[in-house]
Formats: sequence, C-alpha cells, structure tokens
Amino acid sequence: MSVVLRVPAYLGVGLVYLYRYTLGVLFPGGCKYHPSCSQYAIDALREYGLVKGVILAGWRLLRCNPWSLGGVDYAHQQRLFK
Amino acid sequence: MIPLILGSPLTPLENLLRNVLEWFHGTIGLPWAWAIVAVTICVRLLMVPLAVKQIHSMQAMQAHMPEMKAIQQRYKNDKQKRNEELMKFYRDNNVNPAAPCLPLLVQFPVFIALYLVLRQFSRHPPGGDLSWFGSLVPDITAHANAHWSGYLLLAIYVGSQLASTYFMSTTMDKTQRTMMMILPIAFVPVLVNFPVGLVIYWVTTNLWTVGQGLITRRLVPKKAPPAPKRSSRTPPKEEAQPKDDGAAPAASAESKPAAPAQPRRVKRKKKKARR
Repeated sequence: MSVVLRVPAYLGVGLVYLYRYTLGVLFPGGCKYHPSCSQYAIDALREYGLVKGVILAGWRLLRCNPWSLGGVDYAHQQRLFK
Repeated sequence: MIPLILGSPLTPLENLLRNVLEWFHGTIGLPWAWAIVAVTICVRLLMVPLAVKQIHSMQAMQAHMPEMKAIQQRYKNDKQKRNEELMKFYRDNNVNPAAPCLPLLVQFPVFIALYLVLRQFSRHPPGGDLSWFGSLVPDITAHANAHWSGYLLLAIYVGSQLASTYFMSTTMDKTQRTMMMILPIAFVPVLVNFPVGLVIYWVTTNLWTVGQGLITRRLVPKKAPPAPKRSSRTPPKEEAQPKDDGAAPAASAESKPAAPAQPRRVKRKKKKARR
C-alpha cells in the first residue's frame, strides 16, 4: 500500500493511542483477550487498513463481553477477511 | 471540537440523561448534585450483574492458583509468552478473572452525555439548588478551578481514582499498573477545566469501584476451600440416593399386586418412622 493510502489507518491508530492515554486511564479496566482490545485495534488497523481494521476491532470489542471466554487472539489470525 | 463531533449522535442519550436528572431533581426532590450521584449509582447498579459474574470467575480461579503461579514463574522474563499462556490456561479451565472491555465502553457515552448536559446547564442554568453541601461547593456547573472546593474535590478524585485503579488492574503487570496510577495525577491540570458535576460523577463511580473491590476481596478467598469439597461430597450423595431408591422398591415389591395403594403405604411408613 502506498503511504497516502495508509494515512486514514494511521489516523485510526492515533485515535486508539489517544483513547489509551485519556479515557483508558480515567476508566481503568482489563481485557479478557491477549493482546488487549486496544492493541488488537492498532494491529488490525496497521495490517488491514481503516475500514477492515475498524470492522475487526469492533467485532473484537463485541466479543470481549462478560459471556465470552477470552483467550489468545491476534489480528493476523482473523477469518473475516481472507 | 470533540463535543461538536460527538454531540449529534449522543443527543438522544443527552436528552435521556437530562430527563433522568430532572426526574431525580423534580419528582424525588434531590438537589442537582445528589441527582448526579443518584444517576451514577443507577449506572453502576445496572453493571452489578457483570461484577457478580467476575467475582464467580475469580472464585473459580482460586482453585487453579498453584498452576497459574507455575505459569507466571515459568515465563517470568517473557511478558508476551506469559500473557499468552495465562489466557490459554483461563480458556482451558473456563475461568477468566479479567474484566471484559465492552461494559467499560458503555460508561463512556453516559460520561460524555453528562458532560454535555452540565455544559448546557452552565449556559442556561436550570431552576433549583446547584450547590452541594450547602456553601461548600457553590455551583456544580462551574469549572473545578472556579472555587477552592473544586481543588478539594479533585484531590478526593485523585485519591479515589488511585484506589479504584488499584482494584481494577489486578490482572495487569506491575509497570503497566504503575503507569495507570501516575497518569491520573498528570491529568489534574486538564480536569481543572471540567464542570464540578463531572468530578462528582467520577468520585462516586470510583468509590463504588473501591467498595465493590473490597467486597470482592472478602468474598474471593472464602470460597477457595469448598471447591474440592463439593466434588467429594457429591459421590456419597449419589451413593446414598440409590440406597434409598433400592430400599423403596424392595418394600413395594412385596405389595406389587396392589399397585394403586403404593403411595399410601409409603406415606404410612414414613409417618410411622417419624413417630
């Protein structure tokens, strides 16, 4: 991907970092998965771009609910977009 | 800028929150500050079932403590591998003490909506008492730096935030935890420009977290021993039940021809035994 096309994804990554050091600090919590949801979002955005990355991160957040078991789940292991 | 972007999709929530606050203020008769406390308590009450679920998970985890410590020892120097192995272990054993992310996200819209409502209040002050504890906090819609009590509240906020982070970040590693404890202090210069009412929300929700954490701590170690006991208790019960069943058919086997009369005879026997 060219650098220009990557810009939206990096803006997304920037937003996740912004969340991490603002709301993430003010509302502390853990994550049921490894890597954590915010790290997963960063990985997914870097690897799959803004649109797919946001969908993957959103799906991960929905899975990170009280009824799920958690576990090891990397962005590159996703099966949504092949 | 941020309120402008978030303002439009959050307008329904802002209106809902405003209505709830107005209900607490108008119908119940609470001053605005206490109405905020009440709303905060309502949000946290809705989240109690999640906390209960987590407590159960923590209790179940107590039984696996030795194995978990072994994993932590084995991958002492490899944080990545340690987390991976721990998560695998949790999954295999059907326990996970870590809090999920989704319920956390539910709190953000409420928080931002409260910010928007308070901003609206400071522009168009609603009727009624806007102070808290008499003249101690004169106006909850004013910025925290407008009155000395704002700084007092911020100090309480920092304390409660540190305490709640301490309870919430039990699954984090030490460096991450230390960072999470230091950052809230670095935020104080920013928070000074937030409405006092929002600080009230924060203090309330943090104190709730601390209370919940203290209760969790009390509950968790207690349940550790019964876990193996339960498994040993169940087999005798199963053994005892067939015995009872075995005795009953033996008694009724004699009276097999008189099938309809069976229940009555059993009842009589029981009564005799009791007498």
